[in-house]
Amino acid sequence: MDNWDLTPARDLTLAGADRHRSYQRESGLLATASRFAWWSMMRLSLAVLHRLEVHGRTNLPESPSFVLVANHASHLDAMVLGATLPLRFRDQLFPLAAGDVFFHTPALAAFSATVLNALPVWRKKVGAHAIQQLRSRLIDEPSVYILFPEGGRTRDGSMRPFKSGIGMMTAGTDVPVVPCHLEGTFEAFPAESYIPRLHKVIVRIGQPRTFEHLENRRPGWDEVSGLLESDVKALAEN
Amino acid sequence: MAHPLSVTIVVGVVAGLAVSGACILALRRRISDDVYHAAFRRWRSWCWLVGVIFLPVLAGALPTMLAVMVLSLLCFREYARATGLFREKTICAVVSLGILLVAFAAVDHWQDDRLFFALGPLVGALIVVVSIPSDRPRGFIQRVALGVLGFALLGFSLGYISNMANVVHLGETHTDYRPLVLLLITAVELNDMIASLINRTLGRRPFLPETSPQKTWAGAIGAVVITTALVTAAGGWLFAGTPVAHPGWLVGLGLLTSVLGQLGELTLSSIKRDVGVKDVGATLPGHGGLLDRFDGLVLVPPAVYHYLSLALGEAGPLGSEAPFRILTGSWGG
Repeated sequence: MDNWDLTPARDLTLAGADRHRSYQRESGLLATASRFAWWSMMRLSLAVLHRLEVHGRTNLPESPSFVLVANHASHLDAMVLGATLPLRFRDQLFPLAAGDVFFHTPALAAFSATVLNALPVWRKKVGAHAIQQLRSRLIDEPSVYILFPEGGRTRDGSMRPFKSGIGMMTAGTDVPVVPCHLEGTFEAFPAESYIPRLHKVIVRIGQPRTFEHLENRRPGWDEVSGLLESDVKALAEN
Repeated sequence: MAHPLSVTIVVGVVAGLAVSGACILALRRRISDDVYHAAFRRWRSWCWLVGVIFLPVLAGALPTMLAVMVLSLLCFREYARATGLFREKTICAVVSLGILLVAFAAVDHWQDDRLFFALGPLVGALIVVVSIPSDRPRGFIQRVALGVLGFALLGFSLGYISNMANVVHLGETHTDYRPLVLLLITAVELNDMIASLINRTLGRRPFLPETSPQKTWAGAIGAVVITTALVTAAGGWLFAGTPVAHPGWLVGLGLLTSVLGQLGELTLSSIKRDVGVKDVGATLPGHGGLLDRFDGLVLVPPAVYHYLSLALGEAGPLGSEAPFRILTGSWGG
């Protein structure tokens, strides 16, 4: 028999909003049940209200870790990408969400962490340390990140250049990055709108890439973001 | 009409909080900011705790049972996160279900408390059974043992407080559960505070240095002496006219409360040392987790329940004389 291996939760000493905002957060039974209910509801509502169509689902890796990147037009985007994944990934799925929006108040932070399992990205003060923590988590434990490298939602429907954060997380690792293109979410729920409209949404999932051959430095980061940006643009033209 | 002991305990605790708050304020300029803020945080947490504990007990049997259920669930959550059991979702679901069933069994006194007593072995067996299909024999004993221990201490044992709240017949004198439950909780917390005070002022020889370095023989013995005296005095008042009013039974009740209260704290200390954490949570500023505060309670309720049932003889056992079915509204017995 092996020695007993009692490993406490990494976020044991944190409480309340500090715990919800932490990259070290680990989930319990209540969060698992909440996510099962949330993603089941999302899959159903996207299928019924937005006639969700998914192309290239076979390109998704069979098991974590991997990263989904896509163009960003709407708060629906993360929901749409999350709904394309099997429900069994619900506790390993981490949408990276704007900290100043989704983690601003303790109540919002509790919802974003417990139900969405989101991890905060503080856009105005995102530091190398935070990116390093996200990168470590991706490498050390099975995780699926949903990331929008444009850094914010488009205001006119056109795609903006990708930032290098995705490169800082994945350059020099064997973690697959899956480019995706979202169509229809801008029309369904644009940034200025408060209520989603009934509009068809299409997701195109491309071939995953790995970047283990690239150095984890600025040139490698830029190459990662450039390659993924061109992949997403190519999917848009399909 | 509330029992005078209930009134005395509530007034005493509230007065104690008021005096300690005034002392902290009075010492504001004589102590450093850090010490002042730490003392104030701890005092504020105590105020919240007293409200959260006393209000349901005073409000009625159902609020008491629901509060115990919530306390059990929160304490189990902390225990599971500290030991790593929270990663075993199926076992945690079974223990949580067991806690809900314990609350139901107490609330409705289902089958004249037979369900309550059956839940100990049944939930334990269910934890074993649900651990089999995952087909992971490595670590099986560890997972199952952690689940069974968690339910035994935090579900079943704490659930006895709910079962006591369904006591409507304590001998011939009165039918109020409140003084008994308030006495039990207050005595256990006082026991901890007295031991802690003596450890800091008079304590020399460590009691169990590997398990809890700050506990001393002086603190342990002092707490036993003072808590036993307090419980004996209060018990004489509460159980007047019943067989428990005999000095032998009363001293036994005091000893049981103090010794098992300290053993409960040492149980949690052992768990914390084993997993290498200082506190099991950060819910209560200045205290750590809820379980850090209520660890003294984990062994006391079942022992007191069965001790009183034995002592009361024909006037008892507790909870089976004329229990009330809160959900279905009919009287058992």
